[in-house]
Amino acid sequence: MRALLVERLVHRFAAARVAALLTGSGSGIAIGPLRLAEIDPPERPGPLWHRVTPLLAGICGSDLATLDGESSRFFEDIVTFPFVPGHEIVGVVTDGPDAGRRMVVEPVLSCVVRGIEPLCPSCAEGRTGACERIAFGNIRPGLQTGYCADTGGGWSDELVAHEAQLHPVPEDWSDEAAVMVEPAACAIHAALAGQVVPGERVVVLGSGTLGLCTLAALRRHALPSMLLAVAKYRVQRRFAEDFGADDVALPSELGRAVRRVTGTLALASTAGRVHRLAGGADIVFDCVGSARSITEALEVVRPGGRVVLVGMPGVLRVDLAPLWQREIALFGAYAYGTEDVPPGPRSTFALAFELVAETQLERLVSAHYPLERYEEAVRHAASAGRRGSVKVVFDLRRENPAWRRTAAPAARKQRVLRNENKLETSA
Amino acid sequence: MNARLPRVLDEVVSRPTWPGTLPRPIERRNLGVDYDTTWTRAPWARLVRRALVDNVTRPFVAVATSPKVFGREHLDPLEGPVIFAANHSSHLDTSIVLSCLPERFRRRTVVAAAADYFFDRPWKAALWSLALGTIPMERTKVNRRSADLAASLLTDRWNLVIFPEGGRSRDGWGQEFRGGAAYLAKRCDVPVVPVHLRGVRPVFPKGGRRLRRGKVELRFGDPLWPSDATGPSGREEDARRFAARIEESVALLADEAETDWWSARRRAAAGMTPAFRGPDASPWRRAWALPASARRTRSSRSKSSAKPW
Amino acid sequence: MSPRPGFVLEVDRSTPPTLFWHGEGFRFEQLPEGARVVYPPEPLDALSDPEAAVRHALEHPLGDCPPLSALLRAGMRLTIAFDDVSLPLPPMRRPDIRQRVIEAVLDLAAAAGIDDVVLIAALALHRRMTDDELRHALGDRVFDAFAPHGLLLQHDAEDPGALVHLGMTEEGEDVEINRRAAESDLLIYVNINLSAMDGGHKSVATGLASYRSLRHHHNVRTLQHSRSLMDRHHSEMHSSNWRMGRLIKNVGVKIFQIETTLNLDMFPSQFAYLQKREWEWSLADRAGFHASRLALERIPPRLARQIFQSMLAPYGVTSVQAGEVEAVHDVTLENLHRQQLVAVEGQTDILTMGLPYLCPYNVNSIMNPVLVACLGLGYFFNLYRGKPLVRAGGVCIMSHPTPWAFHPVHHPSYIDFFEQVLADTTDLIEIEKTYEQAFATDPWYVHLYRTSYAYHGVHPFYMWYWCGHALEHLGAVIIVGGDRAAVRRMGFKPASTLADALEMAEDVVGPNPTITHLHAPPLLVADVS
Repeated sequence: MRALLVERLVHRFAAARVAALLTGSGSGIAIGPLRLAEIDPPERPGPLWHRVTPLLAGICGSDLATLDGESSRFFEDIVTFPFVPGHEIVGVVTDGPDAGRRMVVEPVLSCVVRGIEPLCPSCAEGRTGACERIAFGNIRPGLQTGYCADTGGGWSDELVAHEAQLHPVPEDWSDEAAVMVEPAACAIHAALAGQVVPGERVVVLGSGTLGLCTLAALRRHALPSMLLAVAKYRVQRRFAEDFGADDVALPSELGRAVRRVTGTLALASTAGRVHRLAGGADIVFDCVGSARSITEALEVVRPGGRVVLVGMPGVLRVDLAPLWQREIALFGAYAYGTEDVPPGPRSTFALAFELVAETQLERLVSAHYPLERYEEAVRHAASAGRRGSVKVVFDLRRENPAWRRTAAPAARKQRVLRNENKLETSA
Repeated sequence: MNARLPRVLDEVVSRPTWPGTLPRPIERRNLGVDYDTTWTRAPWARLVRRALVDNVTRPFVAVATSPKVFGREHLDPLEGPVIFAANHSSHLDTSIVLSCLPERFRRRTVVAAAADYFFDRPWKAALWSLALGTIPMERTKVNRRSADLAASLLTDRWNLVIFPEGGRSRDGWGQEFRGGAAYLAKRCDVPVVPVHLRGVRPVFPKGGRRLRRGKVELRFGDPLWPSDATGPSGREEDARRFAARIEESVALLADEAETDWWSARRRAAAGMTPAFRGPDASPWRRAWALPASARRTRSSRSKSSAKPW
Repeated sequence: MSPRPGFVLEVDRSTPPTLFWHGEGFRFEQLPEGARVVYPPEPLDALSDPEAAVRHALEHPLGDCPPLSALLRAGMRLTIAFDDVSLPLPPMRRPDIRQRVIEAVLDLAAAAGIDDVVLIAALALHRRMTDDELRHALGDRVFDAFAPHGLLLQHDAEDPGALVHLGMTEEGEDVEINRRAAESDLLIYVNINLSAMDGGHKSVATGLASYRSLRHHHNVRTLQHSRSLMDRHHSEMHSSNWRMGRLIKNVGVKIFQIETTLNLDMFPSQFAYLQKREWEWSLADRAGFHASRLALERIPPRLARQIFQSMLAPYGVTSVQAGEVEAVHDVTLENLHRQQLVAVEGQTDILTMGLPYLCPYNVNSIMNPVLVACLGLGYFFNLYRGKPLVRAGGVCIMSHPTPWAFHPVHHPSYIDFFEQVLADTTDLIEIEKTYEQAFATDPWYVHLYRTSYAYHGVHPFYMWYWCGHALEHLGAVIIVGGDRAAVRRMGFKPASTLADALEMAEDVVGPNPTITHLHAPPLLVADVS
């Protein structure tokens, strides 16, 4: 079968990193460690496992970081080479009692998936994202499907998944809606990890897929008094307003915008750019994970506030003096598991299905690519905002894949939307 | 960067610590009032100073201030050591006075300078004492060392330039003359020549950042002998009264500088010379009453509103 | 040759193109046949000895008022307030007339032996003046005598300890002014009357007031009923100020008002052609104009701004009068009208104007879009007496590059006003109701106003209200050559050329409209019949 494969070739990772540094993310795809190969489909590791044929598989920011060689070396012990990337998967199960049904794959390889008994303390509480046996059990080390040599991944013609990983897709859903479930789950978990108290002022940094989904999740599950999104590109701004942001600011205007809505004083402003605030927002969700975004988050959160790091970071150089002096809590939010929502605990994926349906998150899927055009796909994903897109996916459907249809209908619809908006603002 | 020096270099450069069990002698620092300026009066040093004054200081003063000198004739009958007492409004005063002194005085002159300002660092002490022939003098209380040094120099036929105000004028008006010059004059029986400098404040005032060219006038007055006057009880006047007398002479020269010699004399006779220390009024009125020659010119551009261009 | 009065020119085929100001630059526009151009009068001859005129005015005051020397006695508290950097425009060459007047006053004060003297820059809610600007206005002698001792103050409308509430007028308007000024034995105000809007009771009642006082006449309703701002007898804003001024007088604050008027000699000799009629330009003028125009088009905007902002006007003083506020102001207005009044017959469908680089609120600064609107619709539109130059429902076409640029130190609240408030709505009443209070009380803007060189948080609102009368009166506003996004944000229409603008205007006023061009600056007041 065809599969995109990431192999442990250190020199290729290094080359990709240099290219990314010099000419931007995604530019090292041709010299990087990813290649299109013909390999045998993975074997099922046990009787509870099923074969899945992917329909759509998303490209995520963490995938891009891996391909750029920017991923932290921390992951080396929980990833096995060679692996097929792709953890945002909607596919068709081809064996077992549910054969023929569409499923969304929950990629975390926790105790249950690994056949480990008794369950580790985290899995016993339902917090599968924090599984403590991630490198043990029936399958080789790998934190998720898409990072493990034994399971395969979404960017291929076939993978294997444990039955605990499969969630059925409602019949009337489109494939695009289903592929957004996993990112939505990440976003919901992050939004709830922030523990927003009603009336708090919230800022969401970053308006890519993760940022926009986090925004939608916050609107649905929390009651902030003020929700400010930071978006650089017009497509992101539109979605941010649509998903319920009270105000959308450009990244260069973040300090001023937060100052305005919180009514606080500014500690420093150079040539008009307000950057350090005396007060600030109560909680900031950093959905980017770069040194710059963490620095900006620390600048606009109030003393004693919280910064939730949702976007995956690497090795960064950040001045932590503000963190110390203002007693700010900086903590990470990863993956999903079980959430404590009223009336009782529910799995994040269940909440994600609801969010996708309510907010129509399938609108975020902007481009489809076949596996063969993976280089273009990765480049597009890396510059999605600039090119007017949000989520880029691989389309592995045999009949009527989206990339084979001409672009006309979808694009035309978008243009009409833009015109409508313009008429409103010029009235 | 966690680089440190290589071990060998580190041991050469770092000073070893003094053992705690050993008493450590107190070092006498050669600074301030204790600075020893004898080396600056050695023949080679005097030669260097003469060269500097003739080739650097005097041309600079000529260009920056174009000084006009009046009253040189008062110095003609004087031979021996003289104390020159001048009003003080600028750091340039010393250079101007030295440049305008006749050569026979200039080559054997020391200048009393504030010990805390000009002698607080070794390089400053060395620089000023060599270039201008300064000796350290305490501003406020009389220090025995500096008084004895000055007296011995005067006895040794050195001339002394001194600013009895003790510091530069703050608001353009003069300050009370202290008793140092008067005391030394009495002790060594040496005449005091009052000197008035006009128009130096606009060039480089106290607190100024830039030098502006201007026109300066220097006036020498009638020499005052300490044994001249007798006090009301018939005894010789004391140093304080003598200091006041010197201040009156400088005030007379100031009046002469602003108006003319004759009307200044008439006012002095009537006791109507304008006060050297200015009117007794609020600060703005004192500033308002300053003559143009003592007003600061426009100060340099302050870092006001940040223009973005 | 005596200076010629202003007049209205009928454009025909032989008329050369007309000079339009365009921010930091100029354009030549060919107005269609039949258009009218209103030209200002030529500058009157200045007084040959302004200092003597000042001394004469101080000794022979108008109204029921003794000479100044009789009012000054030792031991009294004297305060001298003066107009801030927003006057005159452009700044005048040294010595500024305020310097001459204040030096004359201080000579008398020194002779009387007064120790307690304080100078206050009457800024109201404008930005504080920098040291350089104060030196320029007051001269070095005054600055060096007062500033180092903390006796040169800038009015702080947000310091509760520095304000005193004097009462309410019969219409319920709070009168709250600077405490030092109100509690002095004598308050001397030194004013420059550049336009008919300034002076009179407005000097103290606005210049030394606080937000609590100002909001009674700096609001939408009052400004919409000020027709026009240059005509105090038909201006609600002036009526309010007059009521406040009379209350201040009745409460016992003794004011000695000194008002001065300037002639229209606005431009230095190398730009003298800007004041001349186009058909009278000499060869040197034409060469100079085209050289400047070409150079200005090529240099970066920063440099162009620097060049223009450093231009000083060779103003001459045409009159000085002192004494009681109302008596003085009547004479001032007479002198002002003598210089600036132009008779114009009938209104027009379309009014065009070229906006220069300078308004009262961007001296040494950047003219942001809100200020462009204020200059055109607030000031130039209101340069009339009787009826507006343009008919109700007519169109106003303004020429200015309207850059989307803001000075971060001087106009911080303008940036938020433009981005947040105008993005939401341009309706004056909506803006006043929803946003004014928040901006006026925001602690950050208050902090910048008090300690930095920033206009008060509520100031951009006043700029927008200033356009109130015009926005109510006009059918459409078109800006030629401006940044399209900025122009649209304000609710106006952008056009690239004057011809396009006139086409667009015809959609509003109908075919074959009458056009009048206001050839200002130099300033004029159109007496429309």
